[in-house]
Amino acid sequence: MKKIEAIIKPFKLDEVKDALNEMGIKGMTISEVKGYGRQKGHKEIYRGAEYIVDFIPKVKIEIIVEAAMVDAVVTKIRETANTGKIGDGKIFVLPVEEVIRVRTGETGKEAI
Amino acid sequence: MVDVELRAKRDALEYLWRQGLSGQPLLHKHSRLIDDYLVACFANCPEAGEGMSLVALGGYGRRELFPYSDIDLLLLHAPEAEDRLDPVTQALFYPLWDAGLEVGHGVRTLDACLADARQDFFFQVALLDARHLAGSQPLFSSMHQAFHRELIAGHRREFLQNMMQHRNERHQRYGMHGYQLEPHIKESRGGFRDIQAMLWVSHALFNLQDLQSIEEAGLISSQEKESFGQAWDFLIKIRNRLHYLSGRKNDQLFFEYQEEMAKAFRYSNTRGTLGVERFMQDIYRHLQTIATTTDLFFEHVDETLGSPRANPVEQTIEPGITVRQDRLHLTDQALIEKRPYLLMRLFAHAGKTGLEIHHRSRKIVAANLHLVDDRLRHSKRMAKAFLDVLENARNVLEVLSVMLDTGLLTAYLPEFEQIRALAQHDVYHVFTVDRHLLQTVAELKKLSLNKTPFAGVESPHVLALAALLHDIGKGHHEDHAQRGGKLVAGIAKRLGLTEAETACLQFLVEKHLFLTVTALRRDLEDDAFIRQCAEQIQTPERLTMLYLLSIADAKATGPTAWTEWKSALLLEISLKIAHLLERKDATLPDKSQGAGWMLAQVRALMGKAAPADCTILPEEYLLSFPPEEVAHHLRLRAGLQHEKQAITEAGDHTLFWSVLVMAHDSTGLLAKICGTLALHGLNVVSAQIFTWEDGTAVDVLNVRPAAEQSYAEQDWRALDEDLNLALKNRLGLSHRLVDKFRTAFRSPGQKNVQAAPRVVIDNKASEQYTIIEVFANDRPGLLYDITRTLADFEINIHRARISSDGDQVVDVFYTLDSFATKINNPSFQEEISKALLHIAENETGTGTKLQW
Repeated sequence: MKKIEAIIKPFKLDEVKDALNEMGIKGMTISEVKGYGRQKGHKEIYRGAEYIVDFIPKVKIEIIVEAAMVDAVVTKIRETANTGKIGDGKIFVLPVEEVIRVRTGETGKEAI
Repeated sequence: MVDVELRAKRDALEYLWRQGLSGQPLLHKHSRLIDDYLVACFANCPEAGEGMSLVALGGYGRRELFPYSDIDLLLLHAPEAEDRLDPVTQALFYPLWDAGLEVGHGVRTLDACLADARQDFFFQVALLDARHLAGSQPLFSSMHQAFHRELIAGHRREFLQNMMQHRNERHQRYGMHGYQLEPHIKESRGGFRDIQAMLWVSHALFNLQDLQSIEEAGLISSQEKESFGQAWDFLIKIRNRLHYLSGRKNDQLFFEYQEEMAKAFRYSNTRGTLGVERFMQDIYRHLQTIATTTDLFFEHVDETLGSPRANPVEQTIEPGITVRQDRLHLTDQALIEKRPYLLMRLFAHAGKTGLEIHHRSRKIVAANLHLVDDRLRHSKRMAKAFLDVLENARNVLEVLSVMLDTGLLTAYLPEFEQIRALAQHDVYHVFTVDRHLLQTVAELKKLSLNKTPFAGVESPHVLALAALLHDIGKGHHEDHAQRGGKLVAGIAKRLGLTEAETACLQFLVEKHLFLTVTALRRDLEDDAFIRQCAEQIQTPERLTMLYLLSIADAKATGPTAWTEWKSALLLEISLKIAHLLERKDATLPDKSQGAGWMLAQVRALMGKAAPADCTILPEEYLLSFPPEEVAHHLRLRAGLQHEKQAITEAGDHTLFWSVLVMAHDSTGLLAKICGTLALHGLNVVSAQIFTWEDGTAVDVLNVRPAAEQSYAEQDWRALDEDLNLALKNRLGLSHRLVDKFRTAFRSPGQKNVQAAPRVVIDNKASEQYTIIEVFANDRPGLLYDITRTLADFEINIHRARISSDGDQVVDVFYTLDSFATKINNPSFQEEISKALLHIAENETGTGTKLQW
């Protein structure tokens, strides 16, 4: 089992979610995150005053899948979230030792 | 086993409830069941009896036992009965515990009771509801009498104050109104505790035992009693079911239960509204009824009993409205009937003074709502007072809440009725729609006090109205923003808004979600899309209003709706749109339509008068003006008779004036124009310079007067004459400018801290032209000096952007040398740079040394 974490642009969330749903992935955790990376925050000047946004708003999607699915899911996310511009985000794949469903106590594949 | 029997009986009770027994009868039946059981227990216990009395307290004492309520018991005993207590408590309490009941129990002597009651206000209140169950009646009676004699009589004011303080603290803890996602029907405002607080106070202070006697004593009106009674009944049914549904003592209407509850009470879905939303709407309305009634009750009693307030002087602030003891009063019923707009004036004064409206006057407002008819809804006086509240009230949320609670708001804006107490069945919207709208107005008010990039709105009343009305279209199957847009048009008309204000209000209501939704769902780096946004929003003013409304709306929605994260996205899209809107050329013709299309438009406009040589118009020029203006320029060209002549035309654009100059192009033309303008006290803020292929120069300069002067006062004819003289080389601009500004120049000691002047010559940015940028500190005549210097080098200026930001000026010139080629020679570039730098650094101007 692997955990896939994708950091993407907020406006791409719906598309990515739909694409994953089509692949049969219904469950995911989504959070609003702040990125401080290569695409730095920026300073805006408007009517003579400065406004600094020191982070870039991003969305994080977390999914647990069986190892066999990883490639397909990562490719799908990459294709869907890609705009070709700076700040499209990153995808991380992490090993997962165990998954337990709280309600039933099921483990492993059954609990995904 | 007794507990088995008890459990069976309670199961039977649940069976009865399933058969339809609910409300008060169920509570009484439950109480009787427990009574019977305890009485039997007490009778069967050999040690119980002499010197002991079993007392029911609290809700059980009142015979209001909900399915899982605590059973509060007191075993009152004489000191001598101490030894026999153990077996009695075992016989009484253990079976209750075994049956799984929550039992609050106390074993006390009479003295201990009184001592505890003195210490603990909650116990004191519980004793108010004490009811004798079994055992010694005289012992109970002596406790009862001692309690009233020692703790209540003579402590009435203290009791009231304690009760009010606890009530306030409870409201703070459980939310100031019941309009929350998951109302606590016992503790929140308008819940059971508020009902009891009123009954306890009536009982303790006036010995009034029920609603009927409270009404007879004149503490509440008969209408109040009726709606209060209905609300109470409704809440009892809700609470009974909620206990059974949760299977425990739960008084909070959790989100998860709401749908099931609604179904149980036969609320079904209709077009546009969910059953659960109407169910919650009824609950909120009943909670509000109780909150309002008890508020008025407490204020009334407090005034009757409480210490006199400071400032006893009565002050009339307008006929029919006075301030007495820091409260606003309506004083003249006859006058209200004659001038019903006084009802709204009362709220305007409340907003202005920050004073509360006296409870009796609130009742007067509620009793006079029939006066709010169609005519009054169109009244200018009424509208003025209403807008005054929205725009200026210090405590706008409170004032509007009272206006809503008295019913005046819905009477005045009947459109509000549909959304009153309307819940939205999701976890995102924490408040009901009406409260959310009031909250939005308040959040907007807070925003306007903070510094945001978008502040300073020209018509704040329109924005405040938009905040109050943006969700007015909810509770219907249509798109709520669109429906809202239609509804506010009618409201705006009644309120007497101008056409422009109405259009703006409609725009704001229809588009109130636009920025937020767009910021989250669309690619903000897509320039074409940002451009579309700008086209929809049209003006910076509207963008500012929309931005402020979006934030206020989100902040008033709930804790999850407004985060730093969303704020960053909203700021980003707004700034992007703002930059586009502030650029003048963004609103000019759509470049995608091309120069050919523009030319066709011009030809269509001019018809036969169109000159054959239309093709002399350069593309860049065609794309910079609307077809009407191009046609106008072509017509003016006919008036250019000879080489050294200029045609000028001024225009008033409120924020700036424009001067159109048409002449045959010659080196130094722009310098002469700038010099003449400076001589006439006009500062150039930006300029567009074009040369047609036939050598006609079309320059549009946007100017501002250096001195306070109106457009009409400016002598435009003299400007025209002087420019024509200058073109004929009959006007010495340099010395005249020095004379004119001699006194205006700063003496060297007064210099502000300024950025160093800079000259940049760039051959890369444009394929066709050499771009010369001059960064300098502004002074009168500067532009004349720069353009004259360029003319001296025989450099032709084809386009220019002149922008001044405070003291710093950035002048950008698109130039070619006298051979119509780019300026490529490095040493020539350096020469130009040095010359311009000399001008820019020269604080006194025109190259001439001045003698001070």
